[in-house]
Amino acid sequence: MAQKRIELPQGTLDLLILRTLALEPQHGWAISERIHQISSDVLLIQQGSLYPALHRLERRGWIKAKWGTSENNRRAKYYELTKTGRKQLELEKDSWKKLAAAVAQILETA
Amino acid sequence: MFNDLFFRLRSLFRHDTVESETDAELRFHFDQQVEKHMKSGLTREEALRKTRIDFGGHEQLKEEIREAHGVNLIETLFQDIRYGLRILGRTPVISCVAVLSLALGIGANTAIFSLIDTVMLRMLPVQEPKELVQVRIRDPRSPNDEPEPTFTNPLWEELRNRQDFFSGIFAWSLTQFDLSQGGAVHDVNGMFASGEYFSTLGIRPAAGRLITAADDKRGCPGVAVLSYGFWQDHFGGAQNAVGSTLSLDNHIFNVIGVSAPGFFGLEVGNKFDVAIPVCAAEIFDGPKSRMDRRSWWWLNVAGRSKPGMTPEQLMARLGVVSPLVFAAALPQDWEVKDQQYFLKRSFQPIPAATGTSYLRRQFTQPLHILMGVVGLVLVIACANIASLMLARASARHKEIAVRKALGASRARLIRQLLTECVLLSTAGALLGILFARWGSTLLVRYISTGDNKVFLDLSFDWRILCFTAGAAIFTGILFGVLPAFRSTRVSLTSAMKGSQAVDTESRAKFCPGKWIVASQVALSLVLLVASGLFLRSLVKLVTMDVGFDRNSVLIVRANLHNAKVPAEQQPPMFDEIENRLRTLPGVVSASRSVMTPVSNYVWNSDLEVDTPNAPTGDAALAFFNFISPGYLGTVRTPLLAGRNFNDGDTQTAPRVAVVNETLARRFFPNGDALGKYFRVHADPGKPEPPIQIVGLAKDAKYESLREEAHATAYFPIAQVTEPVEEQVFELRTAMRPSALVPAVQESVAGVSKAVPLDFGTLAEQVDDSLVQERLLATLSTFFGTLALLLAMIGLYGALSYLVAQRQREFGIRMALGAPRDSILRLVMRDVIIVLAGGLAAGACLALVTVGVLQKMLFGLAPHDTFTFISAIGVLSAVAIVAGYLPARRAMRVDPMVALRYE
Repeated sequence: MAQKRIELPQGTLDLLILRTLALEPQHGWAISERIHQISSDVLLIQQGSLYPALHRLERRGWIKAKWGTSENNRRAKYYELTKTGRKQLELEKDSWKKLAAAVAQILETA
Repeated sequence: MFNDLFFRLRSLFRHDTVESETDAELRFHFDQQVEKHMKSGLTREEALRKTRIDFGGHEQLKEEIREAHGVNLIETLFQDIRYGLRILGRTPVISCVAVLSLALGIGANTAIFSLIDTVMLRMLPVQEPKELVQVRIRDPRSPNDEPEPTFTNPLWEELRNRQDFFSGIFAWSLTQFDLSQGGAVHDVNGMFASGEYFSTLGIRPAAGRLITAADDKRGCPGVAVLSYGFWQDHFGGAQNAVGSTLSLDNHIFNVIGVSAPGFFGLEVGNKFDVAIPVCAAEIFDGPKSRMDRRSWWWLNVAGRSKPGMTPEQLMARLGVVSPLVFAAALPQDWEVKDQQYFLKRSFQPIPAATGTSYLRRQFTQPLHILMGVVGLVLVIACANIASLMLARASARHKEIAVRKALGASRARLIRQLLTECVLLSTAGALLGILFARWGSTLLVRYISTGDNKVFLDLSFDWRILCFTAGAAIFTGILFGVLPAFRSTRVSLTSAMKGSQAVDTESRAKFCPGKWIVASQVALSLVLLVASGLFLRSLVKLVTMDVGFDRNSVLIVRANLHNAKVPAEQQPPMFDEIENRLRTLPGVVSASRSVMTPVSNYVWNSDLEVDTPNAPTGDAALAFFNFISPGYLGTVRTPLLAGRNFNDGDTQTAPRVAVVNETLARRFFPNGDALGKYFRVHADPGKPEPPIQIVGLAKDAKYESLREEAHATAYFPIAQVTEPVEEQVFELRTAMRPSALVPAVQESVAGVSKAVPLDFGTLAEQVDDSLVQERLLATLSTFFGTLALLLAMIGLYGALSYLVAQRQREFGIRMALGAPRDSILRLVMRDVIIVLAGGLAAGACLALVTVGVLQKMLFGLAPHDTFTFISAIGVLSAVAIVAGYLPARRAMRVDPMVALRYE
C-alpha cells in the first residue's frame, strides 16, 4: 500500500484535530481515520504526533476528554471541543485561509 | 490559565492514574488499528506486526505525551534524583570520597568567603546603613594617602557645633578598660561614645536606657552602657545589672542600660563591651584631660547624611565648614609651618555603610590570595571527581546504550548524569557549610593576637548562602559536563555487541583523563610554589637576626596611673618594683623600659647634629626608648662600643644616650659617633639640651620584623623627658616565663596592691606581629598539601583505570614475548608525559601569577628559583610514586588471565 505522505506544516495538525472534533466528540483513533479518509488518503497522522497534540490541546483547554464506550463496546477516551476551542477553531481557520490564499497567489503569479 | 494549571497539577500528583489512562488510550488505538488491518484481509499475526511497525517505539511515544503534559521536567527530576541516589549508594566508598573532597573544597571556599563577606562586604546592622558617612581628614602634604580617621576632641566639638548638613553626627573611640582593681589586669573592650551615638544609629536598649546627649556634658558623672553580649557573659543577663556599678581603670561607673543584641559597634573586627560618654575621659585623665588637648588624636567621627543629599553636595558643605573648624581647633603650641598645614586640612566624607575596619587594610590582600588558593583546590577536587565520573561512565556504558535503545533521548540521559553530579555537589555543599562554620571560627581565632582579640559576627547571611549554592552548582556542572557528554555518545551497535574494542581505539586518540590529570598537576604546582614562597618568607622572618633574643623573656606592664599613685611617687615606685623583681628566684636578669621591641608602639622625633650635611626630613627621624641599665643585657642587644648606663645617669646628671649602628652611621658617617652630641628637635620656646653619645649598640628591630633597621636612640629611664605612667619590666628567666607570673604578682603586691599588671612574653609579641605571614604560610601549605594529595589520587585513579582498560593489550604483548619491564616502561612513559606537560604548564602559570604575591613576601623574589625547583621536585617525586603503583600492577598482568578474560 504505497501512500503519498505529506509532512504537515507546524500547527496545522491542531487545526485539523479541532475541525474534526467540531462535528462530534471522537476518540484518537477515529480522529486519525477521519483525517485520513477526508483527505483522500493523503494525510496520515502518526500516533507519535497525534497523542502529544491531543494532550497539549487538552492542557490548553481547547478540548476536553472524557471516558466513554466505543462502537465495539470498549472503554475509549473521547475528546470534544470546548467553547474556547470553538473560538480558536474559527480563528485558526481564518488565518489558515488567508495563508493558503496568499501562498496560492504567490505560486501563480511569481 | 486555570485549566492549564489544573491539568499540569493532575499529571504531577495523580501521576499513576494519568499514566494508566495514557496506556489504556494507546492500547485502544492499537487494537482498533489491528482490527482494521484484519478487516482488510490480513491474518492476526500480520496485522499485529504491521501495526507495531506503524506504531514505532511505544515508550518513546509515551515520553512525548508526557512532555505534552508540561510537567515532564519536574517529574523526571524526581525520577533522576531517586535513581541518582540509588546509583551513588551502590558505590558508597567512592561516593563518600567524592562528597568529602567536595565538602573540603566547598567548605574552605565558604569559610574564606564568609570572612571576606564579614570583613568587607556586609552592611552594618543599624538603621539605614547606606546613609552613614565617616568624616576623615585629608592632609595637604599627602593628598594621595588615605584620609586620616582620627579627630581631637576640640575638632570634633567644633565640627558638631558648626554643621547642619547631617541629620545626626557622632563620635566614638575604642579603648581598653581594666575591670580589676589591682593585681592581674582584666581588660574589656571599651568605647567612648558621644551623646548622639546610639540615637543616630537607631540602636534600641535591651534593658535600661542608652547614652544620650544629656549624659555627654563636661563634668559628667560616670555612666556606662553594656553591650548585650557582655551583659550576658558578665552579668548572666540579670535585670539588676542596670543600676549596679563597674570599676573601669579603677574608677566607678553606674550601669544605666544594655544595648540591643546583634550590635557590636562600627568597627568590624572589634566589639565593645562597655560604652561610656566621651566626657568621661576627664574622669580618667584628671585636670589636663584630652577633652581640651588639641594634638591628642583619639576620636572617630561619622554622621548620617540627610535624605536626598548627594555625596557631592555633602563634600561641598564639608569644604565650606572645614577652614572654620580647623581654625577654631588650631593647636597653639605648634610651629608656624605646621600650623599653616593644619589650617589647610579638610574633611572628607567616606561612605561607611559597611563600617570601618583596620582588618581591611591588613587582610584584604591575604584574604583575596587565600580565596584564589581555595578556588584552585576546589577546581582540583572537581577534576578528581570528573575523572571518577568518567571512569564510572565507561563502566555504565552498557546501561546507557540500553536506555538509549529503549528510547531515551540523549538530552534526557545527560540530564540524568548531571543530576547525579549535582546530587554529589549538593551533599558536598551541605557538609561544606559545616566545615566552613568550624573553619571560619578557627581562622578568626588564628588572626587574633594576645592584645588584639579579633571579633567577627560570623552568622551566615544570604550572600554566603548564595555563594555556597553557586559553588555547589558550579562544581556539579564543572565535573559533570564532560563525562556526561562523552559517555552518552555511544554507538549502539558496538555497545550491544558487548565488545568495547572499537571504543578502546578511539579512546587512545583522545584521553580526557590524561588532560584532567595534567591540569591537576599544573594547578597543584602553582599552589605548591605559592605555599613554598610563603613558608620561606616566614622562615626567613622567624630565623633572621633581629638584634635581641626573644626567648625566655617575661614582659610585665605596670600602670601606676590606674593605681592612682601620685606622679612624684611613681619613679621611686617603679625603681622599687624593678629591684624586687631582679631578686626573684628564677630571674636571670631584670630591667625596665618605656618600649619593648615590636610592640606596636613608637616614640620618635627628629634629631639635630652640628655636622655638615646633617640628615634632614625623613632621614632625621630617630626612634627612642628609655631604659634602665639592665635592659640591653636582658633583651641581649649587644653593646658594641662605649659604656652602658649606670646608676650615675640620674635625672640631674648630664644627658647621655646609647645609639644603634644605623643612627651612628647616618648622623656621623665618619664613624666617630662615640662622644659626640646631638639634640632632639625642639618645639619653639622649649630648648632641648645636648645629649652625649656614650655607647654604641647593635641594630635591633623596633617596630616590625620587616623594617630596615630604624635609627634608634636609648636614653636612661631616669632621664625620661615626660612622665610615663605605664612602664614595662623585662625578666629574663631560667624557666618557662609564664611560670613566674604568680611570683611577680606577689612581689609587686608587696609594693602596692593597687597596681594592675599585664603579662606577656617577648616571643608572643614577636609572633603576634607575624600573624598575617603565618596565616598565609600555614593555610597555603595546608591547601597546597591537600591539592597535592588530590592530584595524586587523581593520577593514581586515572592510571589504574587506564591499566584496567589495556589489560588485554598488555596480556597480548607479554604473550608475544614483551619483557615485563617494557610494560612498566610503557605505563611510566604515560606518567612522565602527563607529569612533564602538567609541570611545564604549571610552571608557566606560576611564573605569570606569583607576581601578585610580591608584597606579601620577605627576603625573596616571587620567582625564587629554589622554591620553584623544590616544588617541581616534590610534585614529581610524589607523582612518580602514585604512577608506579598502577604501572607495577600492569607489569604483573598474567597473560593467560588477561586473554581468557575477554
